[in-house]
Amino acid sequence: MTIITEQHAKKLLSKVLTFSKADECECNLESKVGGNIRYARNTVSTSGQESDLILIVQSTFGKRTGTATINEFDDASLEKVVRRSEELAKLAPENEEFMPVFGKQKYAKANTYFESTADVTPEDRAQAAFDSIEPSKKNKLIAAGFLEDAVEMSAIMNSKGLFAYNTATQVDFSVTIRTEDGKGSGWASGDYSDVKLLDTAKLSSIAIQKSKGSADAKEMEPGKYTVILEPAASVGLIQNMMRAFDQRSADEGRSFLSNKVAKGSKGENAPKNKLGQKMFDERVHIHSDPQHAIAPSAPFAGNGYPLNKIDWIKDGTIKNMPNSPYWAKHTKSDYIPANRNFIMDGGDQSLEDMLKNTRRGVLVTRLWYIRGLDPQTLLYTGLTRDGTFYIENGKIKYPIKNFRFNESPIIMLNNIEALGEPQRIEGCMIPPMKIRDFTFSSLSDAV
Amino acid sequence: MSMPRRKFIKNACIAFAAQAFFRGANAWAQSSDYDFYFTRLSYESGDWEVDERMPANVLNSLIEYTSLRVDIKERIIPLSDPAMLNAPFCYMAGHRLVQFSDAEAQNFKQYVENGGFVFVDDCNHDIDGMFAKTFEAQMRSLFGEDALQKIPNDHPIYSAFFTFDGPPRTSIELNGWGDDLVHNYLKAIIVNGKIAVLYSNKDLGCEWDYDFRNKRWLKEDNTKFAVNIVLYAMTA
Repeated sequence: MTIITEQHAKKLLSKVLTFSKADECECNLESKVGGNIRYARNTVSTSGQESDLILIVQSTFGKRTGTATINEFDDASLEKVVRRSEELAKLAPENEEFMPVFGKQKYAKANTYFESTADVTPEDRAQAAFDSIEPSKKNKLIAAGFLEDAVEMSAIMNSKGLFAYNTATQVDFSVTIRTEDGKGSGWASGDYSDVKLLDTAKLSSIAIQKSKGSADAKEMEPGKYTVILEPAASVGLIQNMMRAFDQRSADEGRSFLSNKVAKGSKGENAPKNKLGQKMFDERVHIHSDPQHAIAPSAPFAGNGYPLNKIDWIKDGTIKNMPNSPYWAKHTKSDYIPANRNFIMDGGDQSLEDMLKNTRRGVLVTRLWYIRGLDPQTLLYTGLTRDGTFYIENGKIKYPIKNFRFNESPIIMLNNIEALGEPQRIEGCMIPPMKIRDFTFSSLSDAV
Repeated sequence: MSMPRRKFIKNACIAFAAQAFFRGANAWAQSSDYDFYFTRLSYESGDWEVDERMPANVLNSLIEYTSLRVDIKERIIPLSDPAMLNAPFCYMAGHRLVQFSDAEAQNFKQYVENGGFVFVDDCNHDIDGMFAKTFEAQMRSLFGEDALQKIPNDHPIYSAFFTFDGPPRTSIELNGWGDDLVHNYLKAIIVNGKIAVLYSNKDLGCEWDYDFRNKRWLKEDNTKFAVNIVLYAMTA
């Protein structure tokens, strides 16, 4: 199956709308066409292809809304799904926070689609796996990896004249390479819009190096250490923080951005959130940019509202907080849709430069299994994994056992020693970071 | 009514002056401008130089919440130095081996039995860790098999200044991963009805060891319990 063109999407969605009897109707057409290859124990185990197309119809009568989905596209089926959403709408309770759909919008040009990624063949995937397995075998190591590429299409049309269409390509690769005795483990990942940037041999060589270097790890005491966090290590904490940026949670006193008024003081007129307050080191600048060359995103949100470049944190200060159309109206502020791709500015130091300037510290390849402990202070816990090393006088000295960490990204972004050159990870741009006083709370026996 | 600990130590100090080094006696003279100074005990066998910003944060809270005249400089005194016998309050911590030399053992025992107060904190926050095992063994050898006992969570130390219903939970204890790191009690050696050695497996030193500028990100100042410990030490 090929990806539906803009013309085809427009025609199909227009037809869906002709069946509507509701006050408002909005339909989303979502499609994914892609392929994958999986390998373990230095052998390819699965190779797959996937294609999917789904239609989501949302109908509204007054303040009652119902949603139905379908993946059949003959006329009878299209009418059936519209009726089903209308029946559900009539059954639904009134939504006191109902907001109407948007009218026609203007969108910036997207740069999310790369022909190179759309053209990936099963042979290309097999070659990418081979380029990872072969050096692993040569080094008497065991590789397990997964590569997935896809073209995704998203189209929105509603009864108020809004129409949006975007295609995006994506390739994700990750590999874990271990020693034969399972005592050493290395990991690397890469995700791109343009497959030409993916080099599985180069990424695997990083994992190979870490795997060999991490066997016979020594124990170090838990405590506070200066750490160099590779982008894969800090991205989880940053993403968690950005997910907690919602204005309503802050206004209602539920988040780290709630502006706490001291007990007993007259705080009725005090701001409810920390918008405009400096909370981080002034080097912290996090923004979203759908047009970013390496980490682009669709120029519209799921409701068809345009997404443009926006600062969330600038010079360490809270600049904007995402909200919903209802909460924007309720608080008489602008509607700011959330964006999933974050760009964090860094410096021009490479990871090697950062290592060289470290007298005593810990290099962390990645963190995983991150779980929240306290939404008010944004305290998280999780584990280091797949390559944790002790640094002394600018050199990696020896591998150390994995730690459990307890840390808040707020504290982390107040304890910055240095920032390196941002790299794409999980659709975001994140710099390697050198952070002082990172709290490791206990040791982990996991490799 | 019992004599406050500071007076007790001052009196005891006169008795010990004969055996104390001149530096120790002098330290007391210098410290009379203060109601409180923070003494960290260094010891030979392990890593005593931990949580280096913790004293500053504790002293800052004493100034913020109480009217004590506080010396803002931490004093590091070897446990083997009789000068430690003059201190109104001692702090001792680490991750590694605790095995006192003869001089260290003698001073520790003398200080504790003569009304001193030592707050001992296990930086591994682990009852099976090296520090915990060896420190507890050291206490048994100095004070007898059952000297270290859990104190009840309504002990006066929990209401000495702020009110707590037991030792406050640390951020590490929020993990809930069952790795034996949750301690809802403190232990102590009681001398004449008062705590002489307060012993924590909670790693409170690490909990209070941070850049003071980051205190504002805490929901509540977590050093408040330190104020209780110091106030209890000074007034019980």
